[in-house]
Amino acid sequence: MQTNNNNNNNNNNNNVFEVENLNLWYGKTQALKDVSVKIEGRKVTAIIGPSGCGKSTFLKVLNRLISLIPSVKISGSVQFHGKDIFSDGINLVNLRALVGMVFQKPNPFPKSIFDNVAFGPRIHGKKTKSELADLVENSLKKAALWEEVKDRLHEPGVSLSGGQQQRLCIARALANEPEVILMDEPTSALDPSATLKIEDLVRSLREQYHIIVVTHNMQQAGRVSDNTLFFLNGELIEADTTEKIFTNPKDKRTEDYITGRFG
Amino acid sequence: MVERQQLQKMLDTIQEDLLKMGGLAEAIIHKAVESLKNYDLDMAEEVLAMDKIIDALELTIEETCILAIATQQPLANDLRKISAAFKIITDLERIGDHACGIAKVTKKLNKEPLIKPLIDLPRMAYLAQKMLKKTLDAYVSADEELAKSVGDADNEVDSLHDQIFNELVLLMLQEPRNINQAAKLLFVSRSLERVADHAANIAERVVYMISGKRLNLN
Repeated sequence: MQTNNNNNNNNNNNNVFEVENLNLWYGKTQALKDVSVKIEGRKVTAIIGPSGCGKSTFLKVLNRLISLIPSVKISGSVQFHGKDIFSDGINLVNLRALVGMVFQKPNPFPKSIFDNVAFGPRIHGKKTKSELADLVENSLKKAALWEEVKDRLHEPGVSLSGGQQQRLCIARALANEPEVILMDEPTSALDPSATLKIEDLVRSLREQYHIIVVTHNMQQAGRVSDNTLFFLNGELIEADTTEKIFTNPKDKRTEDYITGRFG
Repeated sequence: MVERQQLQKMLDTIQEDLLKMGGLAEAIIHKAVESLKNYDLDMAEEVLAMDKIIDALELTIEETCILAIATQQPLANDLRKISAAFKIITDLERIGDHACGIAKVTKKLNKEPLIKPLIDLPRMAYLAQKMLKKTLDAYVSADEELAKSVGDADNEVDSLHDQIFNELVLLMLQEPRNINQAAKLLFVSRSLERVADHAANIAERVVYMISGKRLNLN
């Protein structure tokens, strides 16, 4: 990943998102200021920064969940595989199927485990019963939940533990066959062992998906991500490999945040 | 804006102990070569005792580093300070060992007349000591340029070692009875050359600590 400053002519096909001069306002408050960054594919990108720095807002831009908020104004461009997601021709339902999202608190639907995972594919139509069963099994396997739930697929999703519920939500996202998975603090409501399971899962999913994780947990960013973006007051301060950011960040503000000297 | 007081305290302790250890390493080299030059057996014993303190400090610093990593999750600049300290103490400990080796030569030669006056060996010791001092100054003041300058002195020590090697080989060829002492003095020269290498290693770690860059100063 490169910030625009570092590399202007990088037209690397491996970039999933190319964000240029992105500004975003909630009413009169500017939440993102001139953000330019390229997000590499088949990598885990972590987004870190203090509360209110714009990291979740940035995440919600990427699948245009942000467009659900009426007061939001946006300028600049966000390209997903070279296509501007704010252009008129974009199909939001398809975009959000391709760019799935997992939230902070596990939010299974009040349905069975099976129906939670089958929900998206059913809406998108075309699946037969056996196709659905395969898709549910595969998604649960990819989310490392299959072994724990295969004998109780028709029990309610909410009967699972918190960590299992979060993996169920990941399976639900995977069932839509996305390319990108956005995760907004996916483990902040989980205990350490459930957290480590999700982190292992994130690492294994990166073989097949592009993953972007917002996290408050610096050590988590270190454990799961290849690249890290640091936001502060709506600005993207530094974008680099996680190794570089964690051992030798360029910007003093990154250094202060990373080392907990943030005043 | 001093936050993370616990981590800061550990970092301060590491720096303090490391400077203590570094000061001892400087002194032990000087003492070891003085003990040889003056055939001072008491001083040789002091060197052996000092080395025990250096060894103990290595353990203490290592423990603090491990504790900081285990409990404080240091990153960036903090992490570089700790990882640098972790490596530096190994080099300082080795310097202590080399000094012991020299002190043992003092004891073994047991006041037998020297086959040549000791001029270049103390000169090497002085240079190595100066390298070490510079490195420790650079460590305290986070002075990258000062740390880098240590490499030049290392070259000077290396050429002194070559010169001493040639002289001693010549003395051995001239008179086989010189061989025992010449071999021991060669060992001393080799030890001092290694001390300078360790000082250069430490300077490399100091550069890394300050800038994140990895250099080869040896």
